[in-house]
Amino acid sequence: MNLDVRSLRTFSRLAHSGAEKAAGSLTTLAGIDTYVNVTKVELGTKADVENEFAERDLVSVHIGFSGGLDGHTVLAFSPESAERLVDALMPGINATDAEGELAESSLKEVANIMLGGFIDGWADYLDTTVDITTPTYVDDENDGPLDHVDAEGFENGGDDEHVLVFRNQLEAADNAIEFDLYMVPTASSIGTIVEASGEDGALPVESFAAFSEMINDGANQASEDITAMTGIDTTVEVSRLSFVPIEGVPMSLTDAVRRGVVLEFSGTPSGYIAILFDEPSAENIASSLLPGMEGDEAMRQSAIQEIGNITTSGFLDGWANALETTIDISPPKHVHDIGSAIIDPLATDLAQSQEYAFLIDSTIRTDDDEFTCDIYALPDETELRKALRKLSPAA
Amino acid sequence: MQVYTTDTPAARSGRIKVGIADYAVSGDESTLTTSGLGSCIGVALYDPETGVSGLAHAMLPEADDGSEPAKFVDTGIELLLSEMRAAGADIDRVVAKIAGGSTMFDFTSADGDGSIGDRNVAATRTTLDGFGIDVVAEDVGGSHGRSLELDSQTGDLRVRSAKSGNHVL
Repeated sequence: MNLDVRSLRTFSRLAHSGAEKAAGSLTTLAGIDTYVNVTKVELGTKADVENEFAERDLVSVHIGFSGGLDGHTVLAFSPESAERLVDALMPGINATDAEGELAESSLKEVANIMLGGFIDGWADYLDTTVDITTPTYVDDENDGPLDHVDAEGFENGGDDEHVLVFRNQLEAADNAIEFDLYMVPTASSIGTIVEASGEDGALPVESFAAFSEMINDGANQASEDITAMTGIDTTVEVSRLSFVPIEGVPMSLTDAVRRGVVLEFSGTPSGYIAILFDEPSAENIASSLLPGMEGDEAMRQSAIQEIGNITTSGFLDGWANALETTIDISPPKHVHDIGSAIIDPLATDLAQSQEYAFLIDSTIRTDDDEFTCDIYALPDETELRKALRKLSPAA
Repeated sequence: MQVYTTDTPAARSGRIKVGIADYAVSGDESTLTTSGLGSCIGVALYDPETGVSGLAHAMLPEADDGSEPAKFVDTGIELLLSEMRAAGADIDRVVAKIAGGSTMFDFTSADGDGSIGDRNVAATRTTLDGFGIDVVAEDVGGSHGRSLELDSQTGDLRVRSAKSGNHVL
């Protein structure tokens, strides 16, 4: 099975318009403005997707679909967002007490309407019929968040099964309710959609999986290097490759203030990297690198730049090895600003030559959440395609 | 096939969120918001008589043929104005407040024409001038990000930045 940028664009548009239909139906149903923030086509291992559900304690409703297309859709909320949505649908009902069952059934009803609308668009595009199952409610007590998602993935010779996930971030009522609409098609259904949109210049799906594994390795190396340098015990929470409309790149971040570094890398591929910490994490880094010292702002900046350098090298060195090339990095520039505004100039620079971007994002953190570091890498699309070609099984 | 539709549901609450490469118009008491302007530019337009206002968040100065119009300053402003006109605004009365267009990094890709931020600000002035619209207030350039809130009743544009806090244009 092969994937190309054109079919990824088709996927992205289908998912986005489906999500807008779903958002519109919630607006009608609940009378609360609902927007689609970002639509991403994500490629990752099944374990990554499961981790994310588990980490965020998500409450979710699952609906399967079959017929012309097979797979699963999931509407996932944080427990707080689920509560607020239930409250908007049925004021006065408390989602956490004995009326929980009623809350559950109203979430199922919402999911039924939203996910049904989402899937309809795909069926129309493929000129086929798709049946959906009745909704299943899965709460955070559940062990396997993807237990109900029995979509088989595809393997890359290794143990890790990869899945293509269509993820739409939606928000309602002034960010008070945030939720994700996921669609996970089976591997053969991905094939069906790819066929419908053409395969010109397509790359084997395995090379995307190989790239995704390379990102994972890079994130693990970066995490080890941070731990070695600061003594803070960190792990990689999530690491993924996604395909996003270019304007969706900054929109994946909030306007919370972040501190960190931005740098350019050049080689095959070239692009931009941003290593961002929330403010408490940046303070933790500075104090662990400057033990017992009342560092001034200049010293804190240089500590952040140093950790930015280390993290970037850890993250990218493995790429250079896997791609048998050299990747040069520029000196890190310290940033302390609104998160989405930091990423905006990076995406805008690429927007001059491309409409979509491959966004690589990894989160490295401590178990207690006291330290979180987000790595965003934005490679140039044409060069990334060259890099992916090198990773093709036939290469 | 309805693959390219981007119809946003009609707003019922008091806030309308404008994404990146996006714009929105309000004819009532709503607040229009947009966040994360780095090199991007925010263009707030306001007709004081009717209270019809609009906010655009554009990424790049000039559109090529066939590109998504809301992504660009020139086509984005044109679209915003035509929607404001449809909502009852008189373009002769409309005034503009602009914010954003900063230069946060010195990228190697920047050529002799200046940074994208500077080019966005210049394209905004040229486009507005072409429609005979005055820029009555601005907070542009620099090296920091901004988020905006346009009060469509008063035309006040609140600018939030990480370094210099909030102020109203």
